[in-house]
Amino acid sequence: MSAELDQKLEALTDETLAKGLAVFREHLKEAEAGFLNACVRCGLCADSCHYHRAEPRLENVPGRKLDHIASVFRAHYTTFGRVAPGLVGAKRFDRDMARAWVDAVFGRCSLCGRCSLNCTIGIPMPALFRAARRALGAMGLVPDDLQANVENSLRHGNNMAIEREEWVETLEWIEEELQAETGDPQARIPVDKQGARCLFTVNPREAKFFPLSLQASAKVFWAAKEDWTLASEAGWDLTNYALFTCEDDQAAAIVKNLTDAMTRLGCEVLVIGECGHGYQSARWMGPEWLKSAFPFPVVSILELMDQYLDEGRIQVDPTKNTQPVTLHDPCNLVRHGGISEPQRRVLRRAVNTFTEMAPRGIENYCCGGGGGQLAMSEYRNRRLKAGRMKADQIRATGAKVVAAPCHNCIDQLSELNKEYQLKVHIKTVAELVAAALVPPTSTPSSTPTFAEAQP
Amino acid sequence: MSVVLTLGVLASATWAVAGLVLLRAEARAYGSRALHAAPAGDPAAGVRYAFTGAMSPGAKESVREHLPSYFAGLAYHGGIFTALGLLLLALCDVALPGRILMGARILLGLGVLGGLGLLLKRLLKPELRRLSHPDDVVSNLLATAFVALALTGPVTAWMLSAMLLLIYVPLGKIRHCLFFFVARRHLGAFFGRRGVFPPGGAHVR
Repeated sequence: MSAELDQKLEALTDETLAKGLAVFREHLKEAEAGFLNACVRCGLCADSCHYHRAEPRLENVPGRKLDHIASVFRAHYTTFGRVAPGLVGAKRFDRDMARAWVDAVFGRCSLCGRCSLNCTIGIPMPALFRAARRALGAMGLVPDDLQANVENSLRHGNNMAIEREEWVETLEWIEEELQAETGDPQARIPVDKQGARCLFTVNPREAKFFPLSLQASAKVFWAAKEDWTLASEAGWDLTNYALFTCEDDQAAAIVKNLTDAMTRLGCEVLVIGECGHGYQSARWMGPEWLKSAFPFPVVSILELMDQYLDEGRIQVDPTKNTQPVTLHDPCNLVRHGGISEPQRRVLRRAVNTFTEMAPRGIENYCCGGGGGQLAMSEYRNRRLKAGRMKADQIRATGAKVVAAPCHNCIDQLSELNKEYQLKVHIKTVAELVAAALVPPTSTPSSTPTFAEAQP
Repeated sequence: MSVVLTLGVLASATWAVAGLVLLRAEARAYGSRALHAAPAGDPAAGVRYAFTGAMSPGAKESVREHLPSYFAGLAYHGGIFTALGLLLLALCDVALPGRILMGARILLGLGVLGGLGLLLKRLLKPELRRLSHPDDVVSNLLATAFVALALTGPVTAWMLSAMLLLIYVPLGKIRHCLFFFVARRHLGAFFGRRGVFPPGGAHVR
């Protein structure tokens, strides 16, 4: 735990603790109250957690993390917890418990939800860890560097504080690269195109560190003759770190950038680039934060690429991707997002040898970078240690390329690559598709027939 | 069976049911969360899967890797429900045919073994022991004693154990007899709505 966080914990007053408890209580609904009554402490969740797999100790057992929260619930909100706290393990919310919460829900959890699937009862534990994170947020106990990402998004419209001029210049530069790569001077990266069918959103890391990733997506759109655009103002960044701080008001303000851009530009479909938490934020949590259904579908670029291939709008030659490829399943995209098959269909077509990890899909291990872990430097060592499961999974496939449809995961996987000497290349799915693209003929494509992926 | 024992068991059962109803009402009083995101899958299909396939060894690593605990749990719960069934029959003064009774006794025996096995595991594994509260031991002992006494008698002791168990149901973790269903229904609906349950969800072709 960082010295700053430790100081904040030491300085906690009774009023602050009461405020945190009130926020926790406010966050609980019928479902969470049910979950908090349900745990039987069987301990079978232990090995479902990558933290526990990497370091088998009590504090890494999901049931233990949950029990810190449930014990407070029992003490403050159940009759028998007040009458016989020692018998049922009820504990008041005090400074020590706040410290235990910080350590459990920020320091030892990536909100990956693998424990939910493996829980004997079926308790969706991240829902309760979120309630705890939110309470800690109200007490000023969110790790500073995680909160800084949220502040950047609120102030600058993107989490890396990229100014508009820099963003637009980057896009112009990538567009030139795209034209050079495709040999087509008409290949464009449209910006603020009014009435474009798709508004594409990206992780700011693509602009800062991974321009080839953005270029790859643009190349796919070019090949599919998609009618698309990026926004120059707020509304191009798909990230939302308030998903991890669990401050719903701030999360709502950030996701509103996307809905405002859709309205401003008159687009039909919001396309989320390869980012797990960005997808969950926009597709699933956004409407809940804004308390209204979106009047447009939200789709992942993985679904779009799958559809392009299925409809023959793009052609790929798998012999252009000769190295064996495996696929990482980002938790927010797969286990919490429901997108597990499109990327597999795409890869089976776009690469020569595709090898699955074991386990895979919704059972896959978190890379360790989720839940805001990458943004919390104080837990870096734990994060890398917990990533050992993923490293072992990758190594066991014998793959030379890891397709990771999430930029946060890519960062973590890149660190794991060095830490565990994996000697693999880590790429987005779009990068592999772009590499395999068969250049389109000059014949104009038929009218886009994209059937909305959502009802 | 004496009227006093019968009334005692009925009163305890009434307490247990009333307590569970009250707990459920308390949980409901927290209010439900309105959902706005367009569903990708069918919540009802997710709930069905949560109560079936999602609990199978094929879908659950925690089961696959802990088969002895899984089967001990099955045996234990099988024994408890068998004992409850026998209790109901005893209260109604209904006797079971010999073969069925023998089958029930086998289930009770397995239930006792399962209960004791899980208790031993909890006490002997350091990590699990540290995870536990006294409630975990009390709950196990009450339920295991109830199953064991259903098998061995005497009836008076069995009835008393039934009363204690029923009284404890809403107080400790045995309340999971209700909240297991509540939690798993929510889990199924959550993942069903998102197209995660059943596996492949909305994107299988």
